[in-house]
Amino acid sequence: MTARSQRILFWALVWFCILILSVPTIIVVGASFTTANMISFPPEGFTLKWYEKIALARDLQQAFIRSLIVSTVCLIVSVPVGTLAGLALSRFKLRFANAIQIYLLLPFTVPLIGSGIGMMLIFGEWRVLGSLWPVGVALAVINLPFIIWSVSSSAGALDGDLELAASSCGAGRFETFWFVTVPGVMPGIITGGLLMFVLAMSEFLVSLLLTDARTVTLPVQIYNNIRSIITPDLAAVSSVFVVIALLAVWLLDRLVGLEIFLKSK
Amino acid sequence: MTNQIAAQNSATQSPREVAVRASHVTMDFGGVLAVNDASFELEKGRFLTILGPSGSGKTTLLRMIAGFQKQTAGEITINGKPVDAAPPHRRSIGMVFQKLALFPHMTAAENVAFPLKMRRFNPRQIAGRVDQFLDLVKLGGYGNRRINELSGGQQQRVAIARALVFEPDLLLLDEPLAALDVKLREEMQLEFRRIQHELGVTTINVTHDQREALVVSDNIIVMDGGRIQQQAEPVELYRAPENPFVAGFLGLSSFVEGTATADGNMQVGDLVVQGEPADDFAAGTKVLAAIRAEQIRLAGTREALGNCDMKLEGRVSDTIFEGERQMYVVEVGALSGATFRVYHHDPDSFGLFHVGDTVALGWNRRDLKIFSPAA
Ligand SMILES: Nc1ncnc2c1ncn2[C@@H]1O[C@H](COP(=O)(O)OP(=O)(O)OP(=O)(O)O)[C@@H](O)[C@H]1O
Ligand SMILES: [Mg+2]
Repeated sequence: MTARSQRILFWALVWFCILILSVPTIIVVGASFTTANMISFPPEGFTLKWYEKIALARDLQQAFIRSLIVSTVCLIVSVPVGTLAGLALSRFKLRFANAIQIYLLLPFTVPLIGSGIGMMLIFGEWRVLGSLWPVGVALAVINLPFIIWSVSSSAGALDGDLELAASSCGAGRFETFWFVTVPGVMPGIITGGLLMFVLAMSEFLVSLLLTDARTVTLPVQIYNNIRSIITPDLAAVSSVFVVIALLAVWLLDRLVGLEIFLKSK
Repeated sequence: MTNQIAAQNSATQSPREVAVRASHVTMDFGGVLAVNDASFELEKGRFLTILGPSGSGKTTLLRMIAGFQKQTAGEITINGKPVDAAPPHRRSIGMVFQKLALFPHMTAAENVAFPLKMRRFNPRQIAGRVDQFLDLVKLGGYGNRRINELSGGQQQRVAIARALVFEPDLLLLDEPLAALDVKLREEMQLEFRRIQHELGVTTINVTHDQREALVVSDNIIVMDGGRIQQQAEPVELYRAPENPFVAGFLGLSSFVEGTATADGNMQVGDLVVQGEPADDFAAGTKVLAAIRAEQIRLAGTREALGNCDMKLEGRVSDTIFEGERQMYVVEVGALSGATFRVYHHDPDSFGLFHVGDTVALGWNRRDLKIFSPAA
């Protein structure tokens, strides 16, 4: 009896949390279907015209493509760097492991506006501010701890004897790394990589500082489009974002779920 | 094909060469002597087991032989060459790890093929060789299974195949059977022996299971506290332990303290106990005698014991039923209350004696070993 009422309480709490967390998403997605010219919830009527509008809006389209490019650059930079750093952190007894852990926390303790301005100064000095790739590199730098943690926790769970086993099989250092270590931490790499991609897609503050009219990314473009009122087309763009994030989660589940299936435990 | 390998090996074995030699090997982990001045030799093609309790330095010794750790003193050679002459992947050593360390992202066949690929075997021969070794460990047809789709015993077999497939000079086994249940473990022990005989590969096995050591080995090293206590063939080790530790670690022994007599026996109080001294003891030195539970005869009266060099009376203080046999704990007043643990096989009358009964104990002189207690 107690177990039953406890279960009911437990599930009530779970659903309450889910509801609270998803309220903004539900409102923005709902509002994107409204027929009114102003954002409203619950939506008045049902229309897809705002989606048609954003699909035809060249500025949004181009910003979206730029965001994809930025996220891809971020991914290309952060995956190898984050993987190696994550492995180093968990595999070797580094002398300054503690100091490195604290350093990795820095991006969260220094306000983004601070690191954004810092990077603006550096990239300005190097005269690369007008192009897209520095934005991707900057986002890789500020979000790097996520992939490092993801990889190092995956590496921590890896049986250390696997690498010794590989070497007794005749694998040299590089072969051991490539055929045994990397596949072993693949779940961490995939999780970290997707996280980096999604974070780069939606990052706003640093992107705002590092982009100009020629290089605006989607979140910055959305911000620029907000005038005195928020029109439903912005809700439609946001809904597209939500769908991308859901896709990423689905992909993660498929890939990492698959990886866990491949692992013996 | 396997027979060919076996034939080759037995041919090269005929004059026994030394495969592994350790001389005065010590491993000092900052004050902790995990291995302390260990010296031994292992002949080619033989199966050696390192036996010892937890923390006795078995794994450390094995890892030094594998070259994963460098000893702080002494030298280890394999086929005459120092182990650390080459990095681990250039040595010809197959290893089965305690937790197996199979590659989880590969199939059984890919695991077995991995050493062949890494060691640049002819790619056209790899598949055939993998099949041959999967057959050897009785896993023919299981090659495409993922590691997590195999049972514990099957995973064990994959690990053995992976360690043997490139025909290493030396096979190292670090308690690979510890995690298995008793039945499967006993089955795999015999399997190890069969495969080792078939291939003739020099093998070093580590275990804390005395039964496993006796069943599978040609030769056993007993370790305790980082020191080698004794190296001998199984029967000799069991029959003629050199010190109380070995006597107590293999089988179930009872101990009695006393002083040495001039004629090589032991005196406890007024009583002279006949036994076999492990050393020449000066009369009057303190000694410790040990006798195995199955070497003591038990009967209701002295007459019923039959021929024994030594006969004593005692009182049953405990009885323990162990299935195929009964164990009695018997207290002997004449030996200042020393207790003896005695196995009694008597299929018809389990529970022949009861707590409090007076019984007669008997043994033969050669079965009671007299040691120096300091060893
Ligand atoms: N890397 C290390 N640093 C410090 N001490 C160590 C290290 N490795 C082992 N030791 C110590 O050396 C001793 C022997 O350890 P070892 O692992 O060789 O024992 P073992 O005989 O294999 O025991 P088990 O049967 O439990 O596996 C232990 O006291 C252990 O604590
Ligand atoms: Mg061990």
